[in-house]
Amino acid sequence: MIPGLGAALQVEALLLRRSVVLWIALPVLAGLVPGGSFGAVALARSGYGDGAAAAKLAPYAAGEPGTTVMVALAQILSVAVLTAGGFATAWAFGQPFADGTAGASFGLTVPRTTIALARCLALVATLATAVLAATLVGLALAALGGAILPEGPPSTGPGLGRATFTALTAGLLGIGLALPLAWVATVTRSAFGTIGVLVALIATTQVIVLLGAGSWFPYAASSLWTGMGGTEAASAVGLPQLALTAAVGPTAVVAVVHAWRHLTDV
Amino acid sequence: MTALLLDSVSHDFSTRRAPWRRRRTTATGPAVDNLSLHVDHGEVVAMIGLNGAGKTTALRALTGRLRPDSGTAEILGHDAAELPPSVAAQFGHVVDAPLVFADLTVTENLRAAARLHGCPVGHIEDLVGDTRRQLALDAWADVRARALSQGNRQRLGIGSATIHSPRALVLDEPTSALDPRGVVIVRQLVRDLAAQGTAVLVSSHHLDEVSRVADRIVAVHAGRVVENFDPSGPDLESRFFASVLAAEREVPRADRTGEEA
Repeated sequence: MIPGLGAALQVEALLLRRSVVLWIALPVLAGLVPGGSFGAVALARSGYGDGAAAAKLAPYAAGEPGTTVMVALAQILSVAVLTAGGFATAWAFGQPFADGTAGASFGLTVPRTTIALARCLALVATLATAVLAATLVGLALAALGGAILPEGPPSTGPGLGRATFTALTAGLLGIGLALPLAWVATVTRSAFGTIGVLVALIATTQVIVLLGAGSWFPYAASSLWTGMGGTEAASAVGLPQLALTAAVGPTAVVAVVHAWRHLTDV
Repeated sequence: MTALLLDSVSHDFSTRRAPWRRRRTTATGPAVDNLSLHVDHGEVVAMIGLNGAGKTTALRALTGRLRPDSGTAEILGHDAAELPPSVAAQFGHVVDAPLVFADLTVTENLRAAARLHGCPVGHIEDLVGDTRRQLALDAWADVRARALSQGNRQRLGIGSATIHSPRALVLDEPTSALDPRGVVIVRQLVRDLAAQGTAVLVSSHHLDEVSRVADRIVAVHAGRVVENFDPSGPDLESRFFASVLAAEREVPRADRTGEEA
């Protein structure tokens, strides 16, 4: 155990519990995302029209409705966790530079590097709880969907267990993908600047996917793996690509701790 | 024995900037220029100077928040930027912003500060209660810091920096937002700590206040120590301005009107 990590975790967990950003991000992830997934499947099976939106929702009209709710959840969660987690990370690491507590954390018995590590861990734990909650709420809505939504034509998609695993994994990968923003916030010392980088990252991901190079780009790989880009794009993402995506989070934590160790002029 | 030491510290902010930050168009000269001072255990030293004299830059170097271009900053004999935990446990500071989290209550802030200062868990509630009482913060115990007045927030910051009874303490403008009662409370706290052997370095604009609290006064101008005063002498204000004018005659102060490009 790293000396002082327990104390730093206790303080960081309390700060997260009291933060407005988390109180917005958590209900969005645990409530709005599963609700939206259920809504998308319900809408796809309602026969409401044949416009562009209907074409987009067409994949959700096939297969067993409960399973399709979890497929939709995995796809939405993969992006939503990065976005909500990105905002939370930008706030958690950018705000201390704005309110001066970054400078005040110098010369403490618990080193600032330990505080930075604890902040990363507290964020990961909080967002992982939200992903788990979203998955459980999604399963409850999947059960509801299975009872009240009409069965679609047969689908070649995954079963309920695989879809649930995909949702959980995509959500957890999204947390790791949000962590580099902690480094960005440390280097730029700006929460708003970091949110700008998040927006740029999402836009860049879109471009890379359009160019067909998404499977090796960590910010696209997990979404493609959930089937967001279609069956063919999903099959292009295997264990190596997912391992690369999973490596982003730990690498970012090392970079954040290094950046906090070398902070000066704070 | 010296507890706080700045030895020949110089730093010039115009020489380095992050690439995305805009450079100054006009050189402003060093913020601190070969500045040296020390504070012994049981001594209260006040650093006075005009705005932009280099006081806060010197304190940031002393607290490890700024790695100076040259010179040494030491706390209890250790490099200020790399304090071992056992030394950091004996150090406290409030420079610019205090260790006060806006979303936490007064009690939670003091508890967090005690934890981060390495206080034994079993003693924390006693320390929190004692600090709250000593700084007259009991009435706001459960109020979030963001809702506090500036003066109460400043007292909370000082409480967060002293809850562990440090042996070396740095306070930047500790009474700037305080009412007369708050000034007396903080003065008493500083004198009590010094009586227990703590070395205290205080920066302030309030000449009358520093003459009451300090054992020694150091005047800083253009990044350099220009005079040492005995606080018990007459008319501190006149002596201070005389030292500033003498320093200006000796080395004309660089034009500090340069703005960001």
